[in-house]
Amino acid sequence: MGVAAVAGKVYPAVRFEIQHDRVAQFARAIGADPADGVPPTFAAVYSLGVTAPHLFMDEEAGVDFAHLLHAEQEFEWQRHPDVGETVVSRGRVASDSSRRGIRFVTFETDTSDARGAPVCRSRALFVIRS
Amino acid sequence: MTRRSVTFSREQIAAYAEASGDHNPIHLDDEFARSVGLPGVIAHGMLQMGLLSTVAAEAAGGPGHLRRLSLRFAGMVVPGDTVTFHAEPAGQGRLELTAVNQKGEAVLTKATADFVP
Repeated sequence: MGVAAVAGKVYPAVRFEIQHDRVAQFARAIGADPADGVPPTFAAVYSLGVTAPHLFMDEEAGVDFAHLLHAEQEFEWQRHPDVGETVVSRGRVASDSSRRGIRFVTFETDTSDARGAPVCRSRALFVIRS
Repeated sequence: MTRRSVTFSREQIAAYAEASGDHNPIHLDDEFARSVGLPGVIAHGMLQMGLLSTVAAEAAGGPGHLRRLSLRFAGMVVPGDTVTFHAEPAGQGRLELTAVNQKGEAVLTKATADFVP
């Protein structure tokens, strides 16, 4: 299967409700106190997690999931969302390049609140070896 | 300085898979993990990041103070490994973070966080 560079490609927005039980389960899994609210890296779910499947299942992008490595991750927060909020996340391919048979894809996700104010930006670097 | 050591277990990795929705079989199924060249199941990089974030949050005065967290996933973590997560102030609103396994190998590198008071 041919692989097209898809830098600049934007995927559809995804709405996600930040539910109490899901947050508590996540907090326990990382040894955080559920009483402290939404753990910062719950962004792995509400931001990166809900949008990355668009990239992985995009036939045009042709990402070989079996050879994909999550190499770097950054989250930037304007604020942390509250339990019960619904946030909206949109993923895009910020860069897509290949060097010596290794493909580097930077996937960015912007998450905003119900009023459109920014909440979080996720930046993931995926390395795909062919 | 804030420090936390965690010995990873299959149960913890499975709990993170459940909580995060990341059910990639490399984290859950030894046979599958070996078929793709791994020694067996490995911990999610994002689980390591989650654990590191709790140390960063403590050093920052609480999770709500964190404004940025970034790192490179540099090494595999398998069940039985003990990783020490560490946060140290590095100037105004900045933390330098490390995650080192029981062999002294860094499993997360280039890890920093920014926070607001």
